[in-house]
Amino acid sequence: MNSLKTDDSAREKNIYQPHLMEIIKVISETGDTKTFHIQFVEPSLRETFSFLSGQFAEYSVFGEGEAPFCISSSPTRPDHLEFSVKRIGRVTHALHQLNPGDLIGFRGPYGNHFPLDRLKGKNLLFIGGGIGLAPLRSLIHNVLDNRTDYGDITILYGARSPQDLCFKYDLETWGRNPLVKMIITVDVGDADWRGKVGLVPVVLEEIGASPNGAVAITCGPPIMIRYTLKSLEKLSFSPSQIWTTLEMKMKCGLGKCGRCNIGPLYVCKDGPVFSLEEILHFSSDEF
Amino acid sequence: MYRKIAKENLKKWLTDLKTQAEVLTPAKANGLWTYRNFDGRDIPHNFQNSRLPPKGLFLESLRALFEWKFPGGSLEVRPLPAMDGLRVIFGLRPCDARALKILESIFARDYPDVFYLRNLSRTLLLGQACRVQCEGSFCSEMGIDSQDSTDFDIFFREVPQGYLARALTARGNALLERRDLFEESSAEEWNLAQSKPRGSREQPLFDLERVKAGVAKSFPDENFWKRFSAKCINCGICTYLCPTCHCFDLCDLQMPGQGMRFRCWDSCAFADFTKMAVHNPREEKWRRYRQRVSHKFHFFYQNFQAIACVGCGRCVGHCPVNLDLRQVLLEAAR
Repeated sequence: MNSLKTDDSAREKNIYQPHLMEIIKVISETGDTKTFHIQFVEPSLRETFSFLSGQFAEYSVFGEGEAPFCISSSPTRPDHLEFSVKRIGRVTHALHQLNPGDLIGFRGPYGNHFPLDRLKGKNLLFIGGGIGLAPLRSLIHNVLDNRTDYGDITILYGARSPQDLCFKYDLETWGRNPLVKMIITVDVGDADWRGKVGLVPVVLEEIGASPNGAVAITCGPPIMIRYTLKSLEKLSFSPSQIWTTLEMKMKCGLGKCGRCNIGPLYVCKDGPVFSLEEILHFSSDEF
Repeated sequence: MYRKIAKENLKKWLTDLKTQAEVLTPAKANGLWTYRNFDGRDIPHNFQNSRLPPKGLFLESLRALFEWKFPGGSLEVRPLPAMDGLRVIFGLRPCDARALKILESIFARDYPDVFYLRNLSRTLLLGQACRVQCEGSFCSEMGIDSQDSTDFDIFFREVPQGYLARALTARGNALLERRDLFEESSAEEWNLAQSKPRGSREQPLFDLERVKAGVAKSFPDENFWKRFSAKCINCGICTYLCPTCHCFDLCDLQMPGQGMRFRCWDSCAFADFTKMAVHNPREEKWRRYRQRVSHKFHFFYQNFQAIACVGCGRCVGHCPVNLDLRQVLLEAAR
C-alpha cells in the first residue's frame, strides 16, 4: 500500500516554527518603548537571511505568544536585526522583560516592501510619528547607505513630548548629516525643549514640501496619518506619490489565519506597504 | 474505471483495509452522525451527513505545531511531526469533499502547510452519492452535484444489490484491484444508477452568478448587513460547523519546564478576533457578519476563483436564531 502514498518531501517545512534569535542589546527608547538588537543563534542563518525594508516578522516569547513587528534595521546593515516594541499587550509586556542573552523566536521576513526602485532619483519626504518611525527608519538607513541614488531627503518626525521621541541617536546623526533636512517636532514641549512645537501635519504644511519629483512615505498613529494625508493633498501630492505601511491584526503572517484582510487583500501578504492610490481603491474601509 | 461490489463484500473490503489503514465510516455517537473507526458494522442507510464537517480530520480543531524544552538548562525548540499513517474515509458527501479541496487551495498557497496537506495526502477519500437532500442545504445551487464528484479517490452509488464504484485517481484504481470482491462494471451501468435525491428542489433557489454579483454590490450597504445580522448572537456555530471556515489562532501552552504552540480554530464572528492594541476594524456585529458572507462569496472568489461555500446547509440548520444564509443570498441577488 506504500504505492498509495503521495510524495510530500517538498512540503515538509513547518511554516509555524520560528528560528531562535539571541537578544544582543536592548535600548530603552521611551518610558514604554524598547528597541531590541537580535542575531540568529544558528550561524549559517546570519549569512543566508535576507529581507527588504518594509517587511515584517513574527516574534515569539515562548509561553507568552507571538506578535508581528516590522524589522526596523536596514538590509544594508546586515550585522544584526533590530525591532522596536511599544508595551501594550501580553507579548509586548513579555518582550519588555527580556535582557541581552535571552532567546526569542523569529519567523520571517513576511509581506511586501517599500518600492525602492520607484524611489530612486526622487526627492524623499519621510513623515513619521512616535513608534511609526520604526519602519521608516529601515528605509531611511537603506537610502542613506545609497545616498547618491536619491534626490533631497527630508525627515519630519514628531512625538507627543520630548520624552516620547524614539531613536534619539538616529535623530542626532541625521540632524548632523548635511545631506538630510531634519525637522523634529513635539505636540507639547517642556522647559528644556528648544525644537519645534506643533502637530506633524501642521508642521508639514509650514515647511511646504514640494511635490515635484517627490515621494512621501509616512507612518504613525492613525490620527496623524489621516491628517498628514490631508496636508499632503494640500501640498499637491498625488495619491501615487504617497506611501504608507498599514497596521492590522496579523497572526500567522502567512495569509491563512483570516484576520488581517481588507476586502480581498491580506495585509500580511499583499501589504503591509501600500500607496495611497491603492488604499483609495480598497473595496473595504475596515482598517 | 467502474466496478461493483455487494454489500457484504464492501464490509469485507473495508475490514481488510484496516490492516493497512485507519478506516472511518459514518456512525452515530451521542446521537449525532459522525465518522468513527470501522468495526464491521453495517453501512447505515439513513446517514445523510455528519453534524460536524469532516474538516476537523484534516484541519484539527487543535493541532500542536512545535514544542520547546530546556534540556541542560538551555532552550531548545523542536518541530512536532505532521500526522502519519494511511486513512480511508468512507461515506463522505460531495459537498464536504469539495470543501476539502477549497481548504487545500488555502493551505497549499504561498506557504504550504504540512499539517493540512499531509492529512489530505494520507487519506483516501471514498465518497457516496446522496439519497436525500439535507435540511437547509443548497448544494446544487453552489454547483455541487450530489450524484457525482471528481473530488474523491473513489465515488460510490448505492444500488439495490450493493454499490457501484468509480475510481477517480490512481490510488482509487489500485484500491479497486480486489477482483475477489469487486466485479466489472461499466459507464452505462453507472449512468443508470443515477438518481435524484429525495426532497430535492425542482427549481434552484437562486442563480449563483447573481448571488456573487449581489454580495459584491451589497458590500457598502450598511443597512443590508445590519438588518440581517441584527439577531446574530455571535455564537460562532456557523463557522464551527462550516466545512470551509478555516480561521485560526496560534496559542502557547506553557507547562513547568516545557511548552508548545498550537493552532486552534477561531472565528470571525467573535468581536476580539480582529482586536488590536488601540483599534478594532470589525468591532460592530454587522461588519463581522458582512466579512463572513463577503469573504465566502466575493473576496475568496477574487483570490481563488472559487466560492468558499458548498451549500451543505449546516449553518442554516443549526443557527440558534435561524439566521438563514439563503435568505441573505437571495436578497443580495435581488
